[in-house]
Amino acid sequence: MASQEPWNLENGNLKGSSKEIRHVRTVHNMSSSSLRKKSDRSLVSKVPCRLLRQFLANLQEVILGTKLSVLFPAIPLAIIAECYNFGRPWIFGLSLLGLTPLAERVSFLTEQIAYYTGPTVGGLLNATCGNATELIIALFALYQKKVDVVKYSLLGSILSNLLLVLGTSLFCGGLANLKKEQKYERKQADVNSLLLLLGLLCHMLPLMFRYAVSPSTLTADPTLQLSRASSIVMLITYAAYIFFQLKTHRQLFEAQEEDGDDAGSEEEAVLGFWSAFAWLAGMTAIIALLSEYVVGTIEAASDSWGISVSFISIILLPIVGNAAEHAGAVIFAFKNKLDITLGIALGSATQIAMFVVPLNVIVAWIMGTRMDLDFNLLETGSLALAILITAFTLQDGTSHYMKGLILLLCYFVIGACFFVLRTPLNQPNAFNLGVQSSSGFSSA
Amino acid sequence: MASQDLCNLENGNLKGSSKEIRHGRTAHNMSSSSLRKKSDLALVSKVQYGCLRQFLTNLQEVILGTKLSVLFPAIPLAIVAQCYDFGRPWIFALSLLGLTPLAERVSFLTEQIAYYTGPTVGGLLNATCGNATELIIALFALYQKKIDVVKYSLLGSILSNLLLVLGTSLFCGGLANLKKEQKYDRKQADVNSLLLLLGLLCYMLPLMFRFAASAGTLTADPILQLSRTSSIVMLITYVAYLFFQLKTHRQLFEAQEDEDSDDVASEEEAVIGFGSAFAWLAGMTAVIALLSEYVVGTIEDASDSWGISVSFISIILLPIVGNAAEHAGAVIFAFKNKLDITLGVALGSATQIAMFVVPLNVIVAWIMGIHMDLDFNLLETGSLSLAIFVTAFTLQDGTSHYMKGLVLLLCYVVIGACFFILRTPLNQPNVLNLGVELSSGILAA
Repeated sequence: MASQEPWNLENGNLKGSSKEIRHVRTVHNMSSSSLRKKSDRSLVSKVPCRLLRQFLANLQEVILGTKLSVLFPAIPLAIIAECYNFGRPWIFGLSLLGLTPLAERVSFLTEQIAYYTGPTVGGLLNATCGNATELIIALFALYQKKVDVVKYSLLGSILSNLLLVLGTSLFCGGLANLKKEQKYERKQADVNSLLLLLGLLCHMLPLMFRYAVSPSTLTADPTLQLSRASSIVMLITYAAYIFFQLKTHRQLFEAQEEDGDDAGSEEEAVLGFWSAFAWLAGMTAIIALLSEYVVGTIEAASDSWGISVSFISIILLPIVGNAAEHAGAVIFAFKNKLDITLGIALGSATQIAMFVVPLNVIVAWIMGTRMDLDFNLLETGSLALAILITAFTLQDGTSHYMKGLILLLCYFVIGACFFVLRTPLNQPNAFNLGVQSSSGFSSA
Repeated sequence: MASQDLCNLENGNLKGSSKEIRHGRTAHNMSSSSLRKKSDLALVSKVQYGCLRQFLTNLQEVILGTKLSVLFPAIPLAIVAQCYDFGRPWIFALSLLGLTPLAERVSFLTEQIAYYTGPTVGGLLNATCGNATELIIALFALYQKKIDVVKYSLLGSILSNLLLVLGTSLFCGGLANLKKEQKYDRKQADVNSLLLLLGLLCYMLPLMFRFAASAGTLTADPILQLSRTSSIVMLITYVAYLFFQLKTHRQLFEAQEDEDSDDVASEEEAVIGFGSAFAWLAGMTAVIALLSEYVVGTIEDASDSWGISVSFISIILLPIVGNAAEHAGAVIFAFKNKLDITLGVALGSATQIAMFVVPLNVIVAWIMGIHMDLDFNLLETGSLSLAIFVTAFTLQDGTSHYMKGLVLLLCYVVIGACFFILRTPLNQPNVLNLGVELSSGILAA
C-alpha cells in the first residue's frame, strides 16, 4: 500500500516507485514501512487554527500511522495500573503490549530524521535505533542490578532474530513461492555470519575460562577483564562494519530492484525535523517508563504465571521487542524479497551481539557493576548452535520452506529447553558444572 | 550385470537401460539393486507342478537373489547354537553374520511391494524400512531395558553412515575416477545436513542441561520432558522432510541420469507377486527379530569373552553389520561416479536414524514407561557433533575427490579407536560423566 515515506537521497535517484522497491533505502526502513498506513488529512485540514492544524497533522501521522496503533491504549492502561497498584503481572503484561507499537514508531521517526540529516548519519541513526527497545530494557535492568535479566534478554533477542524471525520468514516465503526459485545475495549473509561468529568467540572464551581454571587460582577478575577487552574489540568491529556497510561496500546491502507496481509516493518527510525530534524524545521517554515497569515487575510476573524468569527473558521479551521487524520480514519473504528479510533478521542479530551487549558491559564498567560476557553453559551452547545452524543454512544463496521450518523448530526446541528449566536465576551454582570449582564464584 | 529389477514408475520414464540408471528411482532402491544377481530360471522351469514351480521360483529369487546369500547358512547355525547352548559369543557372531543378508533381502522385498503400491507409498515404505535392522535391534534392546545399547547402537549407526560409508565411497570413487570431475547436487546434501544439525541440537540440549543445572535442584524429569518434546519435534520434522522429498521438491532427490547405457534392457515388472512379497517380508522380519533378540541377549557375554567393551560393540560392530548392504551399494555407485546416489544412501540413512528411529525409540520407551532420554553422554555426543560438522563441511561445495573420503574414513578410525580404548562397562554412569559430583540420582540412561 502506498504511503508518504521519506526518501533517502543518497544516490539522488528519484525512481517513481512504491516504498518497497525504493533503491538504496536501508533494509530496516523498508521493513517498518510495510506496517504504515496512509494518513487521511481531510479531517485535519478543516481545523482553522494553523498551529493546531499542524499539531493535529503530526499527531495523526505519528499516533495513527501504523497498523499496530491498536495496541497504543495499553500504554495509559499500564501507567494507570502502576499508579493504582493493580496486579503486578498486569503491569508487566500491559507494558509489554505497549512497547510493541512504540518500537515501530521510533523506527518511523528515525527515518524521518534521517531524511534531514543525510544518508550517512541517517544510516547510523537507523543502525543504532533499530534495537532501541532492547537497549533501553537492558540499560534499565543494569541500573536495577539485574544483570541476569540483561544477559538473557539480549541473548534471547539474538536467538529470536536468528531462528524465529528468519525461520518464519523463510517458511512462509517458501510456502508462498513454491514454484519460484528463491535466491538472495549470500555475501551479505556471509559478512553477518562472520560477525556473529566473532561475537560467539567472545562469549565462549570467558565461559571456557571459568571451567578451565582451577578454583584456587581463579578470581572473578580475569574473566571480567577479558570480557571488557572483548567488548571494546566488538565495538570496534561494529564500527568497522558500519563503515563497510554504509561507505565502501554499499552495493552488497542494497535492497533488490524490481518493477514498480505501486503509485509513486512523495519523497519528502511528513514531519518537520524538530517535531520528529520532539516526538522521538517523547517516545523514548515512554519506552523508558514502560521498560522500567517491565524490569521491575518481571519476578512478580514470573511467580504469578509459574514460568521461570529465564524463560520470560529469553523468549517473551524478545518476541515483543522484535514484533514489528518480525512482521516486516515475513511480508517481504512473501514477496520473495529475501535480501530484505535477511537484512532485517541478520542485521538486527549482529547489532545486538556486536553493539548492544558490549555497550552494556562498558556501561556496567562505568557504573561499577560486574557484568561479564559469561552467559552460562546452556545459553551459550544454544547460541552457538543457533549461529552455526543459521550460518550453514544461509551459505548457499537459495531458500525453500524446509530451511525455515528447521530454523523455527530449532527455536521451539530451545524454548522448550528453557521452559522446563525452572531453576531461579539468582542461584549461581545452579548454572555451574557442579564441579568443585564453583566455590565463591558467582555467575553474574 | 543385468537383472530383473522393478522400476519405480514415478515418472513413467521407460528408459531402456540397466537398473542403475533408472530415472526416478530412489537412491536406496538403486544401491541395493547393485547386489542382486540374475536368477536363472532354467532349472526351476523344469518342475512340473505350477504351484511348486512358483514357490521354487520365489525361493530362488528371494534366497539366492543376492551375492550375500553365502551368509544365509549362518542363520540356521545361529538357531542351532542357541538351542544347543554353544558358546554365547558364537551365538552373537553367527547372529551378526546372519543379519547381514537379511537386511539386504528386506530392502529387496520392500522394493517389490513398492512396485504394487505406487511411488509415494513406495517411497514411504522405503524410507521406513530402510533401516529395519537397526530399528528392530533397538526395540529389542529397549524391551530388555538395555537403554545404553539402544543409544549407542543408533549413534554408531549415524556415525557409520556419515563417516564410514560416505568415506569409503568417496575414497574409492575418487581413486577410480581420478581423471574425471566428480560432482553432485549439493542441495540434497544441504537439506540432510540441516536436518542432522537440528537433531544435533536436540541431542546437545539435554546434555548441556544436565551439566548446567546443579545436583540439588535437578531431577531427571526436566531432561526427560525435554527429550520427549524434542522427539516429537524431530518426528514432525521427519514427516515434513518426507513431504518435501516425495511431493514438493522431488527434483532435488532424483538419481542422476546416465547417457551411456551399457547393459541389456531389463524388464519393468516385479519378480514376485504382492502377496508372496508381503509374506516373505513378514517371514524375514520375524527371522531378523529372532536374530536381534539373540544379539541383544548375548552382547555382554561376547564383550566379556572377546575383551572389548560393550560400547565398542554397540557403536562400531553392530552398525557395520546393519549397514553392510548399503555400504556395498554406495561404494559401487561411487565407482561409477554416481555420487548423488551415494549421498542419497549414506546421508538419507543417517538422517532417517537421527530424526526417525531415535525419536521413535524415545516415544516407544515413553509408552512402555522406560526412562530413555536424548542424553547420549559427552564423548558420544561430542563425536557425533564433530562428525556432523565435518561431513556437512565436506559436502557443501558440490564436488568430491579421494582426499575427502580419506579424511572422513580416518575420522571414523579415530572415533573407533577412542571407543576401543574406553574399556569401562556401560552400567557405571559416573565413569562416563565428567567425573563431577553431579552423579546423585541421575543415571546416564
